[in-house]
Amino acid sequence: MNYAMALDYQNCINCKACEVACKEENGVQLGADKQRIWIGVVEGTIFGKPFANLYPSQCNHCLDAPCVSVCPTNASHFADGGIVKVDAHKCILCKGCMEACPYDARFVDDTMVAVDKCTFCDHRIGEEGTTACQATCPTKVRMFGDLDDENSDLVKLLKTKRFFFQKEYTNTLPKLFYILPDDEAYAKQSVSHNTIIHTWADIKPLYDEARTRRSKEWRK
Amino acid sequence: MKVEISRRRFLQGSVALSVAGGSALGTTNILADSKEKPKNTLVKKVPTICEMCVNKCAAIATVKNGIVTKLDPNPYFPKSRNMLCARGAAGVHALYDPDRLKYPLIRTGQRGDGQYKRATWDEAFEYIKEKMVKILDEEKDNRSCIGYCAGEGLAEHTYKTFMADKFGSSNFLNHSTICLQTAVSGYTLTIGGYGQADLENAKYVIMAGANRAEAILTPDTMDLFKRTRGRGAKLVVVDPRFTNTAMHADTFVGIKPGTDLAFVLALTYVAIVDQVYNRNYVAKNFVDFDKYKKHILDSEYTPEWAEKITGVSADVICKIAHDFMAAAPQAIYYQGRRSTWAKNDFQLRRAMALFTALGGGIDVKGGIVFGHKLALGEHTTTAPMYANAKPRIEKNAAAIIGATGSWVAWRNMVAEGKTPYPIRGMFVYKQNPMLSVPDTARTKKMFEKMDLVVVIDTMPSDTAMLADVILPECTYLEREDPVQAYASIEPAIIIREKVIEPMYESKPVNDIMRGLAEKLSKPLWEITKKHDEDVQSELETTPEDEFYEENGFNLAEPFMHPQEETNKHMVVSKHGEEAWNILREKGVYYPNMLTYFKKINNNTYECYPKDKKYYSVLKLEEAFDATAFLHDTCVNPADIADLKRSFNTPNKKVECYLGSMEAKGIDAMPKWREEDHVKVPAGKFKFISGRHAQFTQNATQNNIMLLELMRENYAWINDKEAEKLGIKFGDLIEITSSVGKIRIKAYPTAKIVTETLFFIHGFGAKSEALTFAHRNGASDNEIIEGTIEPVFGCSVMHDTLVSVRKV
Ligand code: SF4
Ligand code: SF4
Ligand code: SF4
Ligand code: SF4
Repeated sequence: MNYAMALDYQNCINCKACEVACKEENGVQLGADKQRIWIGVVEGTIFGKPFANLYPSQCNHCLDAPCVSVCPTNASHFADGGIVKVDAHKCILCKGCMEACPYDARFVDDTMVAVDKCTFCDHRIGEEGTTACQATCPTKVRMFGDLDDENSDLVKLLKTKRFFFQKEYTNTLPKLFYILPDDEAYAKQSVSHNTIIHTWADIKPLYDEARTRRSKEWRK
Repeated sequence: MKVEISRRRFLQGSVALSVAGGSALGTTNILADSKEKPKNTLVKKVPTICEMCVNKCAAIATVKNGIVTKLDPNPYFPKSRNMLCARGAAGVHALYDPDRLKYPLIRTGQRGDGQYKRATWDEAFEYIKEKMVKILDEEKDNRSCIGYCAGEGLAEHTYKTFMADKFGSSNFLNHSTICLQTAVSGYTLTIGGYGQADLENAKYVIMAGANRAEAILTPDTMDLFKRTRGRGAKLVVVDPRFTNTAMHADTFVGIKPGTDLAFVLALTYVAIVDQVYNRNYVAKNFVDFDKYKKHILDSEYTPEWAEKITGVSADVICKIAHDFMAAAPQAIYYQGRRSTWAKNDFQLRRAMALFTALGGGIDVKGGIVFGHKLALGEHTTTAPMYANAKPRIEKNAAAIIGATGSWVAWRNMVAEGKTPYPIRGMFVYKQNPMLSVPDTARTKKMFEKMDLVVVIDTMPSDTAMLADVILPECTYLEREDPVQAYASIEPAIIIREKVIEPMYESKPVNDIMRGLAEKLSKPLWEITKKHDEDVQSELETTPEDEFYEENGFNLAEPFMHPQEETNKHMVVSKHGEEAWNILREKGVYYPNMLTYFKKINNNTYECYPKDKKYYSVLKLEEAFDATAFLHDTCVNPADIADLKRSFNTPNKKVECYLGSMEAKGIDAMPKWREEDHVKVPAGKFKFISGRHAQFTQNATQNNIMLLELMRENYAWINDKEAEKLGIKFGDLIEITSSVGKIRIKAYPTAKIVTETLFFIHGFGAKSEALTFAHRNGASDNEIIEGTIEPVFGCSVMHDTLVSVRKV
C-alpha cells in the first residue's frame, strides 16, 4: 500500500465541508489555526476583473518527508502505507517538524500537547473505503487511493490526466496530485508558468524508487 | 502568478472569510474518539435526515455508547447522494450545543430582559391555557386572534395541523414571503411548476442572483461544479457580487442590484428580433406569444436600453442571448430561490421562465424538468368549524395573499394597531422573526403588543427572548419525523429516524402539540359553546359528547399515534411491508432501489439507471407513444422539445399573458416600470444581503464548529469607493437606513459593483443566552425596510438605500 490522493481542485467551492468533517471525524482541536485540512485562496483582479482560485490542501504524506527525518524522538514517523503520523506521547513539542514541513501542514494540538496533522483517516479507510474529507465533499474534489494498485480508481485517474504538485522544488515527493484542468484558460489562470506538469508514466519510476528506498521505515 | 501557497498565507489572505477566530473555544474530541480506540464501545449507525438547512440531505449518524459522534452522508438518497456540507457535518454540535433550551421556561421579568424560571411541561401548558381562555373569551371565540408562524421543516405540518385545522386560526405565516414565493409562483403561473433545473445535462446555464456554491442546494450544487470550465456546461453568473459561484463561471456579469428584469427583457428582445428562439416549440406550446412579442418589440427593450439601466454592456447581452439559444433546449435561466430583490420580482421570474421556454428548455432533459413523485398514504383529521373565526387580517394587502400570508404586511398591521380585529397572541415554531423579517424594530413592536407569545424552538433565539412561555423542542437527531416523498428526476421517499432519545426535557413537536391540545381542548370547548351560535343550535339536537368528538373539537386526536406508527401506515399502504423495511434500514426507499443502486467508485454512486430517470413527464398532446419519451432515450432532446405538450397551467400551455392578473391591477406581461426602480442618489448605497455555505440563515449562528469557519460577518464595499471614504479592511463602519442603524467591520473588495453594500444574513444576535452568537457582527434585517411587492406581499429585500460612515 502506498496511499495518496488526487485533487480535482477546480471543482472546489470553498464550502469547507471537508474541514468540518475532518474535525468531527478526528476530534481535531477547535480554533481557526488548528486545521488538518484547509482551502488555499488566491484572489485578485486581471485587467480590473476579479478572479479567484481555490487549492484544497492537507498533508502531502511525502515519500521523502523532512518532518520525519528531523524529529529527534521518532514521534513523527511513517505508518503503514506511507502515511505520515505523529505519536502524540513521544512528541516533545520541539516543533522541528513544523519548521521542516514546506506545506505548513502541522500545528500544535493543545489538548494533546503534541503536534497534530492529517492521518489520511487511517482508522476508517479500511471500513469506509475512504477518508472523511473525500466522503463528504459536495463536488467530489478528492480521490484517495493506493498508488501500488494499478487498478485502483486513483491510479486509473492519474493515467488519464496530467497533474502537478505544489512546491515540487522542495523535493519531498509529495502525494497530493493536483489534476490539471482540461480547460486551457483555467489551467493558465490557476497554474503558474514554472510549475512542472507530469504524467503517470513520467512520475512513476521516481515514486517507485522512493517507495522502495523509504518503505523500510514504514511501521506495520 | 504564484500558485503554491501555504496555510499561513491562507490565514492572512482570507481573513475576511475566516477571521481572527481563534483561540480554542473547546475541543471536539470529547465526542469523536478516533485518536485512541476505546474498548467496549457499543457502536450504532442510524439513518437520519439533516435539518441544518432546508435541503434534507440523507445522513448516517454514528452513535457510540449513546453519544452521537459523527454524521456521514447516506449515498442512497439521489437528491444528496454522498455529500454532507459543513453545516450538515456540524450537526453534532447543534445537538450538544450547551446553550440549548433544556426545560420549559416561563417569563418572570419584563418582556425582552431574558428573565425566565424553569417550569414543568404541565405548568407551561397551564400558563398558556389560562391566557388563551381569557383572550378567546374576550374575543368571543375568534380563533384568528392568535397568529402563528413556522419555519420550514419535516414537522412543520404537524404544528400547522394543530394551529390551523384544530385550533382554527387563519393567521398563519411562514417563510415564503420572506423567501421564494415570487420565484415559485412566477414559474408556476407561467410554465405550470417551479421544476428542477437538470444541471447534470444542461449545456448553458444563466445563474442570476442565485449562488449555488454558497447557498447549497442539491443535486444542483453537486452537479453543476463538476461540469463547468469546458466540461459540458457553460455558466454565466449575473450578480452584483463576484461570488464563489462566479469564480466558476465562463462569464461573470456584474449587474446593478434590482435591474435583472431589464436584463432578461433585453435578452428576450434579442432572441425575438434576431429570430433565434425555438419557433417550432413556441408555435406549439405558447399561448398569447404574439401579444408578448408585440409588447417586447413595442416597448423597445433593446440591449442598449438595458445597458443604461443594468450597467451590463449591450454586446454582452447580445452574445448571451445568442449563445443561450444556440445551446437550447438544454439551456436554463436558473430559477433561483430566495427572491424578491425588487418590487418587480414576480415579473422578473415570469420573464426568466418565458426566456427559458423560448428556447424550448421546459420539460426536457437538460432543461427545467418536473420529475415524478412517489405516493404516500394519507391521514385525515376532522377540523372543527368555528363560526366566529375571522379571515386573515392582511388578506387585502396584495393582489394574491395565499395560505402562508404576507409576513411583513401582517407584522406592520399588528405593530401599527391597524388590524380589523385585535391580534392578541402568537405562536412561533422554529422561526426567528427578530432576525429573519425585515425591520426588526417593528417586529419587536409587534410582539410587545401581544398578550401571549409562545415560542417552540431548540435555541434561545432573539425571538425566544420575547416570549412569555418557551417550549423546548428536541433537535432533529432526537426524533422521528413524518416520512416525505421527493418529486425529482430520481424520486425517493426518505425518513428521519430518531438517533438518540431527547435530551433534557425537550420533546418532539408531535408530543408538544398533544400535551397542549389535551390541556386546551375542554376549556376552549367551553368558550366555543358560550359564543358560537352555530354550535349552540347543533347542541339542541345532538348530545354534547358525541358532537364534541365527531366534529373534531377534541384537539388532541391527530397527535395520539406515535410518529413511527403513522409513518408505517403511510408507506405500507402504498408500497407494502418490504418497502417499509428497506426504508427503515437504509433511510431511503424507491422502487427497485436495491437493484438500481450501484457504487461506481468512492465519488460516484448511481441511484437510478440512466433510462429509468424521469426527465420528461408531461402528457404529450400528439398521437405519440408517450412512454417512449418518458425516460431518457437516444432521441435528440431538441426533437422532444418540439413535441406539443400539456403544461400544468390554465391553458395547458406556456402562459405569456395573465389576464386574471390584470383584473387585480398587476401587469399581465413582464414590464419594466421605471417608477418602481429605486435609483441610488450620490453618496448613498443600495443594501443587498445573501447566504453563505457555512451558516443557514440565523439557525446555525451559535454552532461552535461553524463559528470556527467564520466568526462574524463583514460588510463588502467596492474597494475604490472605500478608498475615497477612507475605509480600510477591518474598520468599524456604521450603516444607516430609514429604519435602523448597525455597526459592522468593513471588507473593501473589487468583488462587488459600485453603489452597493453587502453583508451576509444570519449574524448579529442580541440574545445573551446565545453564548457564542451573541453580538457577532450585524443583522441585515435591522436596516432592511419593511416594504412589500404588490403581487404576493413578499418583502422587498434589496431596495433599501443606506449611508455609510467610518466610526
Ligand atoms: S468539501 Fe470539497 S468543495 Fe467543499 S471546500 Fe472542501 S474540497 Fe472544496
Ligand atoms: S506535507 Fe509536511 S507534514 Fe506532511 S509529510 Fe510532507 S513534510 Fe511532513
Ligand atoms: S484524510 Fe482525514 S485526517 Fe486527513 S484531512 Fe482528510 S479528513 Fe482530515
Ligand atoms: S445542504 Fe448541508 S445543511 Fe443542508 S441538509 Fe444538506 S448537509 Fe444539511
